[in-house]
Amino acid sequence: MAEVRSKSATGTAWAILKYGLLAVGAIIMLAPFGDMFLGALRTPAERLSQPPAYWPSDPQWGNYLRVFTELPMARWIFNSVAQTSAITVLQLLTSAMAGFALAKYRFAGRDFLFRAILGAQMFPFFLFLIPVFFILRYFPLFGGNDMLGQGGSGFLNTASAIILPFAVSWYGIFMMRQFFMSLPDELLEAARLDGASEFRIFVQIALPLVLPGLTTLGIFVFVYQWNEVIWTMTVTRTAPALQTIPVGIYLLRGAFIDQSTLSLQEAALAVSIAPVIVTFLLLQRFYIRGLTAGAIKG
Amino acid sequence: MTNATPAPYRQPSRSRRSWKVVDWLGSKAVAPWIFLAPTLLFAVVFFILPLIYATYISFTRWDGLQPPRWVGWSNYNYVLTVDPVFWKTLWNTLYFSGASIVIGVPFAVVLAYAFTRSRGQVFWRSVYWLPMITNVVAVAYIWRFVLDDRYGLVNRTLALLGLGAPRWLNDPSLALTSVVLIFVWMQLGQNMLLFSAGLANIDESYYEAARLDGAGETQIFFQITLPLLMPTTLFVLITNFIAGLSYFALNLVLTDGNGGPMRSTTVTGLYMYQTAFNDLRMGRASAMAYILFAVILVITLIQLRVFRRGGVEAH
Repeated sequence: MAEVRSKSATGTAWAILKYGLLAVGAIIMLAPFGDMFLGALRTPAERLSQPPAYWPSDPQWGNYLRVFTELPMARWIFNSVAQTSAITVLQLLTSAMAGFALAKYRFAGRDFLFRAILGAQMFPFFLFLIPVFFILRYFPLFGGNDMLGQGGSGFLNTASAIILPFAVSWYGIFMMRQFFMSLPDELLEAARLDGASEFRIFVQIALPLVLPGLTTLGIFVFVYQWNEVIWTMTVTRTAPALQTIPVGIYLLRGAFIDQSTLSLQEAALAVSIAPVIVTFLLLQRFYIRGLTAGAIKG
Repeated sequence: MTNATPAPYRQPSRSRRSWKVVDWLGSKAVAPWIFLAPTLLFAVVFFILPLIYATYISFTRWDGLQPPRWVGWSNYNYVLTVDPVFWKTLWNTLYFSGASIVIGVPFAVVLAYAFTRSRGQVFWRSVYWLPMITNVVAVAYIWRFVLDDRYGLVNRTLALLGLGAPRWLNDPSLALTSVVLIFVWMQLGQNMLLFSAGLANIDESYYEAARLDGAGETQIFFQITLPLLMPTTLFVLITNFIAGLSYFALNLVLTDGNGGPMRSTTVTGLYMYQTAFNDLRMGRASAMAYILFAVILVITLIQLRVFRRGGVEAH
């Protein structure tokens, strides 16, 4: 009897410790977001008082609307949505096509290609910043450039400069290959006997069967690209019409210097996060698969 | 288009020859190459060509506008032997990457352990993943408010507890550590997820056997869970460390691109970016990129050996 009681006592202690840890961690995760949310509601007077008031006594809900009237927020949102969607669609397409070829066909050089794709992931992003920038800048015959890439500005200041360098993802190809590997060959063979072309087999049989995989990769790419800053900033520094939400907020930082505009900045940050949070909460189970796929199956 | 009489049925106008071409394209021998064509084209324009181009640039003096001038090894020579800043940034890079795993991984393990044994996983997961899906500009600016020297949330809280107020991002000796802490905050959810996947792979029978032998929860954690989690731990340590070496987005945004105060938060990637796009020294920046890449490659190879020995292959 005494033993049972002591066991349940340690059980309770353990439960308190466990949930206590998770709760403290959760507060640390959430508090900065709460701080931003409150900050967006402060009046300039509250910010200027000494010491500044923490809790907004006269919450300025209007700041969340001012973001749309006083900043080019609508344009930023459009750019974020359009560029992120274009990249996601392109990457899904190229990853599925290449992954299918590597998983379901035998041809000379296949294993070499697969190893090359795995190896390519070792090359970090920073290595490509400078050369890709200038390849786009001096691309022959585009954006006013002549045959030698002189005279115009190439792909710079166009949406292509943002989208094209992300058209293919080595990781995406690897992941889609894994998904296609799990399809039985007999299924494709049966369609071949019915006289279907390889393209038809890909579009009508293979693709629908890896839809969960495509969804996972799609969310993964979408979240990553929505949050991408370094490259987009580099190629749109002189093209405000193409800037995305995070890039726009960063490059406009000089405008948020005084106490009356800081609340506006915090409201803009909140707006930049909201769409991803909504997407994510709706689709998080697909996201889990994407994150663990590389670690566990690889 | 006033003629209403139906046209007589005609064969599709494609000639026999064009059908043959379509058949050939859709055959098992040719189709895979068509599927691979966009990727191969991309690999040439956005992978192979840039690597060659960057190698060439690294041997020139170039501002990106005037024609480049060949200077041989002098960029590498300058960066490695003359530039006093480069070595400092390399140290900052190693510190950033090392500290972020030393601080971040223990938290991730402990929280993942608590997480896998708790109810309400969807809730906890959503909370811990919030920073991970937040863009880096928002993360950086949110934390600039939170870590404000006098009236930030953190120092207000410390003041309530009667503690001093560190100048988190403005003290040169503390700034990089502050960036590491923010980075750990960003990455925690992802690492927790990897660890909880690893924990799920541990067979429940180990725990049952240990409980039958009268082991307590603490004992079980240190003597059963941690050793069995070793492959995952190695995987997370190595991938995080390597990814950290090439990371600089947070450092850039937090410091408005200058890597301050007094270059204390300038990691090599950021220094390369500044050299290229602020100072317009493309040659020197490309040399830095390759030197950093070489460092990462060496570290990766060393760690891959550790990886093998640690039995991660069984994973």
